[in-house]
Amino acid sequence: MHPIYFGKRSKKKIQLHDYIRSKSIPMSVILISTFNHYNRIFLYLIDSVWFSIVKVGSALEELLVVDSVWKRFGDKVVLKDVSLVVHSGEVVGLLGPNGAGKTTLLRIISGVLKPDQGTVSIKGFNPIDSRARKLIGFCPQEPGLIPDLTGFENMLFYARLQGLDGKSVVNRIKELSGIVSLTDDIDRLVRKYSGGMKKKLGLAITLIHDPEILILDEPTTGMDPGVRREVWRIIEEERKRGKGILIATHYMEEADALSDRVYIIDQGRIIASGSPEELKSKYGPTAVITIEFYRQPRDLGDVLRKTGLKYIVDGDIVRIHSSDPDRDVPRIVALIHGAGGTIRSLKVVKPTLEDVFLRLTGRRIE
Amino acid sequence: MKWCRIKAFIVSGIKTTFREKSAVFWIFIWPIILTLMVAYVFIPPSAGQPVTLELGVVNNDHSGSPFNGTIFIDVLKEIEYNGTKLFNVKIYDNETKLVDDLRKGRLDAGIVIPNGFGENITYAQAKLVVYVSGNSIYSIQINRAIMSEFLHSFSINVGLKKIEMTMKYMNMSYVPANMTTQTPWGNKSLIEFLEEYFKGLVLPVNSTIIEETPEALSNRPSIVGWYVLGALGMMMLYSGFLVGAAAVVEEKERGSLERILSTPASEIDMLIGKTVSGLIVLTLSSIAIIVTGVFAAGARITWNPFEITDWLVPLNLILIGLMTIGMGFILSLLSKTSSGATSMATILGLFLAFTAGIWFPREWMPGPMRLLADIFPVTWALDTIRNIVIYNIGFSEAIASTIRNIIVTIIIFAVGIIAYKKVVRKYIEQ
Repeated sequence: MHPIYFGKRSKKKIQLHDYIRSKSIPMSVILISTFNHYNRIFLYLIDSVWFSIVKVGSALEELLVVDSVWKRFGDKVVLKDVSLVVHSGEVVGLLGPNGAGKTTLLRIISGVLKPDQGTVSIKGFNPIDSRARKLIGFCPQEPGLIPDLTGFENMLFYARLQGLDGKSVVNRIKELSGIVSLTDDIDRLVRKYSGGMKKKLGLAITLIHDPEILILDEPTTGMDPGVRREVWRIIEEERKRGKGILIATHYMEEADALSDRVYIIDQGRIIASGSPEELKSKYGPTAVITIEFYRQPRDLGDVLRKTGLKYIVDGDIVRIHSSDPDRDVPRIVALIHGAGGTIRSLKVVKPTLEDVFLRLTGRRIE
Repeated sequence: MKWCRIKAFIVSGIKTTFREKSAVFWIFIWPIILTLMVAYVFIPPSAGQPVTLELGVVNNDHSGSPFNGTIFIDVLKEIEYNGTKLFNVKIYDNETKLVDDLRKGRLDAGIVIPNGFGENITYAQAKLVVYVSGNSIYSIQINRAIMSEFLHSFSINVGLKKIEMTMKYMNMSYVPANMTTQTPWGNKSLIEFLEEYFKGLVLPVNSTIIEETPEALSNRPSIVGWYVLGALGMMMLYSGFLVGAAAVVEEKERGSLERILSTPASEIDMLIGKTVSGLIVLTLSSIAIIVTGVFAAGARITWNPFEITDWLVPLNLILIGLMTIGMGFILSLLSKTSSGATSMATILGLFLAFTAGIWFPREWMPGPMRLLADIFPVTWALDTIRNIVIYNIGFSEAIASTIRNIIVTIIIFAVGIIAYKKVVRKYIEQ
């Protein structure tokens, strides 16, 4: 489905279905739109109605605006003219390889670092302003926990740094420890926690003061799939509560699954932005041929180069970008067999964000 | 700045300190061990009391003289100094056994009385063979000094006794009582002059030695008190250095620094919180050391809450804490890891404790070290405390040095804050 936009500002296009999701539009409306033969026309109608009735009164709020930010460390330019926006009720993915400048950007947004040029505004406040800091919940890549304190004491510590204290905080800690499934372990010393438990506690700390904007730096790195899905659930719930969420990640599937919009950053520069679907349709190949081998060809790299197509080798699986799979598949199969390889499976699938990144940079996200 | 945020750092700092076993050892256990060691090993309860030497004697003199070896042994057994017997005498059959026990460390000294001792001491010059033993250079010096001093005094007293006896005979038979002679002091009786002259031969200089130690250090409790404050100063040195040196780097290692700085809490909130938590821990440790010193080691430390001068003691303790924490912030420029900061703080703290007049009185130290003690501000503040609680100096003297200490503390802490901010920036931009 092509994305349907509302709003006239080019930088702040929001897909309607995401908007409906974020505003909890009644299921009946969605069902009608789904089953209606003219659903696109119907959705446009809803768009118009929203604009005339709802949006005029309560526009999607720009919680975070980053405008032309530059940052240098010595001679190295880490961020180059970076701009992005996060609205209430949306998850924005910041996708890029390690060293692309994601963490530096998040540190600037959270007020830890100052930009050399450009501005960051959090609901109109400079991030250095304590009023801005109360609005954001920053979860750095390292959870930032004190190992000799219990989970409860860690949460209380950060609550106090937010200026919160007393009984209400204790209740909030209990509530959050339930949300992140740490109720039974909250009184244990953090040094005895597993990596996943630490990440979840770190996320709970980010939510302790109920911030309007969540800044999450690689929130699921190092987690097993079960815990990762749990964290995704929490992020999804916060989005439903109208929070603006910015997630820096190098996991494609995370950006794809969670983000309403994605900014792709490489070597300190935003190289593309849009919804995952939009990015895939705009920058991705028509199709991706994925191949799994029984026996790899003698020189796989040479075989792949001979195809003349872009490719990614991901363990035992090879992903080859193709604009015409009907033409390319027989040729690729012949090349593999010619080099002594045998194929276990071959599929033609839709492109992912990783394919988008490959097309844009010629490299994989590592 | 909000109290709630500072409280967060204080509470977490105190809790993490008490949950870290090595910190508890260095801040509480080690100073207490040191205090007890000082009290019961270096300055044992017998310190300040006259020493009793284990003395072996071989008596080969069995003459029938009025004074002989047996009487000499009785003298040795009875002689006292300040109410304590000087010797614990053990009689040996022969010199070989005596030397054997000296070598085994069973005796501090030994005397061999030769045959004819009695006759010689009465009519000529007696001889004695004296052995001195010692397990260390200090004990051998003490044993030698005691034996020399005793034998010197004994020799003089015997000499004077012999003069007394000689003068009796002279008075009776050899010199006419009415004979006079010209002396530097005018015309004097020849008998009187000869007596003075003979005394001068035996004892040319009759000196009077008066022991005058500061009242405060004249007894063991005061000496222990001096060292208890030394232990306290030592603990404050390395603990304060550690609080300052590790303040930022430990947050960096935990990954909590950027998270903290993304909250409304400022760098200064963190600095104040960590300083206050450090001061609280140092105060608790100081109390533990002083209580141990006074009640377990018998230290004499006087503090009167109704005396305004005595209130300068806690103030100076706080100044020491702030100085050492401030110096720790400066050291943090050099420490790249928290374990590095711990090592640096401990090594430097112990080094300065022993070389800068914290642990040993500066009078004991060689010149260059004394210079270090003279210029080290922590020693100034500790000396102010010692002057108040041990030497009982007056308010005007105490307040003058306290004002100097306050000014120095402000300078050190201000430099420390600059260093701290630089370190925070350095780690954030890494």
